Order: sequence, then structure tokens, then C-alpha cells
Amino acid sequence: MEAERAGRGRRRWSRYPSRTFYLFVSPWVLGFALLTALPLGYALLVSFTNFNGRNSRWRWVGLRNYTELVRDADVIASLVRTLAYTAITVPLMVAGGLGLAVLLNRRLKAVGLFRTIFFLPSVVPVVAMAIMWKLIFNRDAGILNAILEKVSVGPTAWLVDPNAFYALIILTLWGLGGGMVIMLAALQGVPAELEEAAVVDGASRWHVFRHVTVPMISPVIFFQVVTGIIASFQIVIQPLLLAESNQVGSVALVPQSTHLYMVQVYEEFFNNNRYGYGSAMLWVFFVVILAITLVVLRSSRLWVHYQVDSEGER
Amino acid sequence: MTIVRDPARPAIKPASPAPARRPRRTADAVGTYLLLMALAVLFAGPFAWLVLAALKTKTEWVAIPAKILPENPQWGNFTQALTEINFAAYLGNSLFLSFLYAVLVTFSSAAVGFGFARLRGRGKRPLFMVLLSTMMLPQILTLIPTYVLFARIGLVNTYWPWVLWGLAASPYLVFLFRQFFAAIPAELEDAAIIDGCGYGRIFLQIFLPLSRPVLVTSFLLSFTWIWGDYIAPALFLDPDHTTLSVAISAFYRDPHGNPDTMLQAAAATLYVVPVLVIFLFAQRYFIRGVLSSGVKG
Repeated sequence: MEAERAGRGRRRWSRYPSRTFYLFVSPWVLGFALLTALPLGYALLVSFTNFNGRNSRWRWVGLRNYTELVRDADVIASLVRTLAYTAITVPLMVAGGLGLAVLLNRRLKAVGLFRTIFFLPSVVPVVAMAIMWKLIFNRDAGILNAILEKVSVGPTAWLVDPNAFYALIILTLWGLGGGMVIMLAALQGVPAELEEAAVVDGASRWHVFRHVTVPMISPVIFFQVVTGIIASFQIVIQPLLLAESNQVGSVALVPQSTHLYMVQVYEEFFNNNRYGYGSAMLWVFFVVILAITLVVLRSSRLWVHYQVDSEGER
Repeated sequence: MTIVRDPARPAIKPASPAPARRPRRTADAVGTYLLLMALAVLFAGPFAWLVLAALKTKTEWVAIPAKILPENPQWGNFTQALTEINFAAYLGNSLFLSFLYAVLVTFSSAAVGFGFARLRGRGKRPLFMVLLSTMMLPQILTLIPTYVLFARIGLVNTYWPWVLWGLAASPYLVFLFRQFFAAIPAELEDAAIIDGCGYGRIFLQIFLPLSRPVLVTSFLLSFTWIWGDYIAPALFLDPDHTTLSVAISAFYRDPHGNPDTMLQAAAATLYVVPVLVIFLFAQRYFIRGVLSSGVKG
């Protein structure tokens, strides 16, 4: 917004009508209308029908899909699992990312090397990630069971119920390097004078971290929590690919414990051909995401304020 | 004192820490290093295990007790992985789609980012708010209905969806470009306008060349998105036209229909190494991308 504010009232704006602006942003506006709004609207329409994907004779069923899904035991169970997955992974991801960032924010040799190693997993394509972790979790030949055997733990089947849930969490946590980089940048934005002042006042390192550093980067932490929640709600590929010997687009082999909400949606669409019902599930999900997004946008004022403050000090 | 200065922030460090605190600092550093090395093993381990698996024979892989290192590295697994399925064709599809999308989306996002950064129009603020909120929208939410729609109009099993997604710009990259363009001094633009230059030429001949680092970031990020994407090719493309990601996850089978683990590991190594190499050589571009996703708002 800075540029806009700076340019307000200048003559050059008035010489160029809104037309130029619309011309430049039209790719996104058209794309948003046709590839985001239209599919979402279409899904809303379909959610009130019994469309099965093939038959063009749809029947309007009103709110029946919605009333069914709030009573559908499978949907409720998948939602509860998704909430559990979110409640476990998001705090661990955020705390882990912050912890690594704190470790790497010190003046150590080879800090860049460690940063690279921790960040690397977050750029690995999901298919390769799943293959790698299936090799580790393999019951007979995987290295995890080989290590566990050394401490006399018998072979564990990691990729079936109930352990598949924990395997999925471990796979997710492996990618926390992306969050680490963001936290690191946030930590480096904390003015050193503040922390030094606290040290001079006799605060311990933990107190400085808890009462100076964390409040200073709290907008970033909050943002990480919110994007983390949204990211973990939409998990679908990882359970599909972690399932033993999956076929493309088949959810039949996904273990119960990793049968999350989006996996359920996927199953309704592509296994049960219940496009109407699946669309209703998507819309429930959309409304939840929308609510979370609104919270973020409301809190963005907090973040912008923070940025202006720290820039003023520099 | 031998404190290494952070070049990014040459903060004034007047009172150097008392010498008495030094031994504690050394012990601290040793502890930190041990912790970092243990963590590094955890984070790098899966890569090593993948490559080791790719170099084993089937008997070595299932041997009990498990063998860490292969006796004779089976480099043949890699050549076999290339011939077992039509690897070259899937690689070609992956490269083509990734390149096509990356070029289109980088250009369209730069244009939209320029619009939001330097031009004015009615409704700009609400439009920008919508753009920011769509960054939060999970891709899967629109992907499934898009698939249903595209199936009805015959766009499934063509590469047109990627062209359309590319032309439509990515909100995330738009934001990246907008931040960059907004920071360029207005004088540059004013001088061009005085010389009679239109905004089309200002964008193409002044702003676009200036934004080279962002162009590289955008291209690399969007390239790796499509290279790594699984769900869109799995939904939109049939097995003959699909990408390497789908082929690797599903097409390596022994005659009994079970996954051919060694060949799959070899293929996955070949699939992931280019990403890691690009990343290592262009780390700062990736980090720039990650940062802009974390500090928006």
C-alpha cells in the first residue's frame, strides 16, 4: 500500500485511467473468476443434487446432502481424526521450527550447512517423500525397525493401523524446515538492543526469550499456526501415497487411522461417485477455511503495525 | 574478542562480554553442535536410506538382520529403472508441463504484480484483499470441482489446464512481484512517462529487467511446484500422458503386481536429485520465496 499512498494526488495517476490497471490485473481477475470462483460455485450447485459424475440427469435434493453428512459416522470420524492430526502436528511444527531457528540463530561455524540440511526436506516432492518414508517404515527391511530391534523392540508394522497415523505425523514433521526459515528471518528482525537491554537488567536467557523475543515475533508465530492449520486440514496425498501398494487414485487401501477428512472427500468423489455429497463436504470445508482466513485478515493490522515499527528503528 | 560479526546487521557491540563467561560459552557451543549433528542425521537420513536402497539387490533389501550398506552397489538398478517404464517419455511430460507453467505463470504474475504495485484503479483494495485470501485457499478445494467441470468440456487428458493455470497467475507469485515493484522509486517511472513511454513499455523495458532475481525465484518455485505435483496429473492425465511423479509412484511393478521397491527407489532418486541440485545452487531464491509466504499480511 505504500506506493499507493505515496502516489496519491500526483498528476501521473490522473493521466492514466483505471483501464491500464484493469488490463494488467486481468489475467488474475479472469483466472480467479474462471478457475476459482466458477468451480466453487459449480460445487455449491452440485452439492444440492445427487450428481454421480456420469449421468447427466441430476436431481435436486435440496439440503439432503448436508443433513446427511452431519449424521454420517464416517465423515464425523474422519473429521475427528483430522482435528487430532492438526492438534498434534501444528504445535510440533511451529515449536520445532522455532526451536531449530533459535539453535541456528547463534554465531556458530557451519551454521549455513545445518540450515541447508534442515531446509532441504521441505523442497522434496511429495511422491519422493512418500517413497523415502515407506522405505524407512517398511516392516521387514526398513531401517526404523532395524534400529528398534537393537533396543529389543520387535518388528512393528508402521504403515497399518494404528501406527500409520504416527508415521504420517513423522513424515509431516520432516518438512518443518520451511517454517524454520521463516522463524529465523523473524528472529533476525528482533532488534538486538531490546534483548541486550533485558540482559543488562539481569534477565536470564530463558526470560529474554520468553518475554522479549517471543512477543516480538508473535505475529509470525500466529501466522504459522494459522497456515499450519489450513495446510493440515487439506492433507490428502500423503495418506494416499503412504498406503501400502496403492494404485493411482485408489483410496481403498488407506488405513483407517489416516483416513482424514479430505481422503473421505476423495473417496466420495472417485470411489463412490457421489459428486453431490462430496461437493457438500468440500463446501463445509470451504466455510471453515473462510472463517480461519477472516481471522487472519483481521489480525493483519497487528502484523503491519509491527513491520512499520521495526522499520522506523532501523 | 573474536565474536563473529553478523554481516547483515553490523550492530554496535560496545561492552564485550566478560572473559569469565567464555568457558561456559564453549561448553554451550559443543552441546549445540552435538544437538545439531544429531538432528542433521535425522533430517538427512531419509535421503541416504533412499540411495542405499536404490543400490541394493532384492535379497539384500529383505535380508534379516537388515544390512545398511549394499555389498556390491547395484548401479544397474538405475539403468533398469530407466528402461522398465518409459522413463524418458514421462520425464519429457514433466519437463514440458513444468516449463510451460513456469514461463506462463511467471510472466502473468509479474504483470498482475506490477498492476497492484504501480497502477491505480477503482476497487484495487478489495481486489487485493481477495487476492490475499485466495493464497489461503487450499488448492485441492478448487481442483476437484475444476476436474469435474473440465471433464464435461473435454479438457481432461490435455495439457490445457496447465496453460490456463499458468495464464491465470499465482496469487503467491503476484504478491512476490508486487512487494518488489512497490519498492522501486517512482522517479524511474516518472522519467519514462515524461519521455512519452506507456505503461506497457515501462513494465516490459524497465520493471521486468529490474526484477531479475524475482523472475528467477518465481520461475524456480513454479517449476518445482509442477515437477513435484502429484494430484493434478493423477486426476487430469491418463497413464500415457502423465508426469514422472505419477509414473514413479505407481508404475514400477513386478510380474505379481507388487511394487518393485529397488527400481522405485532408483527412479525416485533420479526424480528428486534435480530438485536438490537446483535447490543447492539457488538456495537464496527459494528462501526468498518461502519468506514472502511467511511474512505476508
